[in-house]
Amino acid sequence: MPTTLSYTLVITGAPWASQAPQTALNVAQELINANHRIDRVFLYGEGIHLASALSTPPSDEKHWPRAWSEFLTEHSIPAVACVASALRRGLVDEAEQARYELPASNLRAPFEIAGLGEWVEGSIQSDRVLYFHGSA
Amino acid sequence: MSTLIVVDQAPYGSWTGREALDMTLSLAAFDQPAALLFTGAGVNWLRTGQAPEHVGQKSAEKNLSAAPIFGVEELLACSESCQRYGLDDANMIGGINQVASTAETMNRYHQVVFAG
Amino acid sequence: MNEQHEHTPTLHILNKAPKHPRFAACLGTLGAEDVLVLSENAVLGLADQQSRLPDGCLALEADLAARGLNESFQKQAISYADLVKLTEQHSRIISW
Repeated sequence: MPTTLSYTLVITGAPWASQAPQTALNVAQELINANHRIDRVFLYGEGIHLASALSTPPSDEKHWPRAWSEFLTEHSIPAVACVASALRRGLVDEAEQARYELPASNLRAPFEIAGLGEWVEGSIQSDRVLYFHGSA
Repeated sequence: MSTLIVVDQAPYGSWTGREALDMTLSLAAFDQPAALLFTGAGVNWLRTGQAPEHVGQKSAEKNLSAAPIFGVEELLACSESCQRYGLDDANMIGGINQVASTAETMNRYHQVVFAG
Repeated sequence: MNEQHEHTPTLHILNKAPKHPRFAACLGTLGAEDVLVLSENAVLGLADQQSRLPDGCLALEADLAARGLNESFQKQAISYADLVKLTEQHSRIISW
């Protein structure tokens, strides 16, 4: 009887600058197919761009932020963009927009903004932690 | 279960090294055993006398020197890379343990992590 | 502080092209029982005359196919599902 393992997935490569979101999504789908649990997806560094609500690729290209948000929502998987990585790169939620009096917010649901503590927690609690980096 | 964070990218030209340092300090803040290994171009983080304000950035020198106080177990550097970049005791920040084999060093840790 | 352990069989997932410094660094840490999976740009290592890859190294089929290398390296090709299986089997995984 195969065991269910728990995974934390960390994405540090941005969509359209790397394959990280694509490779990670394919792996994530197979993890679900194999009955494993994804504890959390954590976006760090350039990976935070995957959580943008404003990405607008051409209609004949894969829409990575949307594909990810649909996958996360369908399987109720918590997803976090690291606050330090996100803010400096211009990814903000409504709370940060208010706090810094910014003209807009652009965080795509169901992503939330939180600190590196979420990654630490994942690395403690999950059976496996996989990282998807850019390849530059 | 100890984690080794590896920095193999040079300072200031990219942010990966800073992000690696943040990960390491976070682990330490949560009382998780963590060490930092600098290798390849990454050893240049360890040079004294850095003045990144010239390029509009903050120095990591203080954070690195303070890392042991924050609970980071070890700061390690690949000796071959140090040699290559002209780093020695005279121009490196204190408290660095040089290692002859990064492979052997990595194999001492269950978790080996890159920030990017 | 020294964790003494014989080398735990490790799954290495490498996505860097052959010339990237991390490619050689990864190869330098491989133990006899370790498994190496090439993904993304790293699959080019199979086509690169100058790369010295270990026997039994594997590569993601999708990345081989994307780069027109699927036919030449069918033997080493694995699916994402296969990769998931490998992550089940290895408690120590390094994503390079």
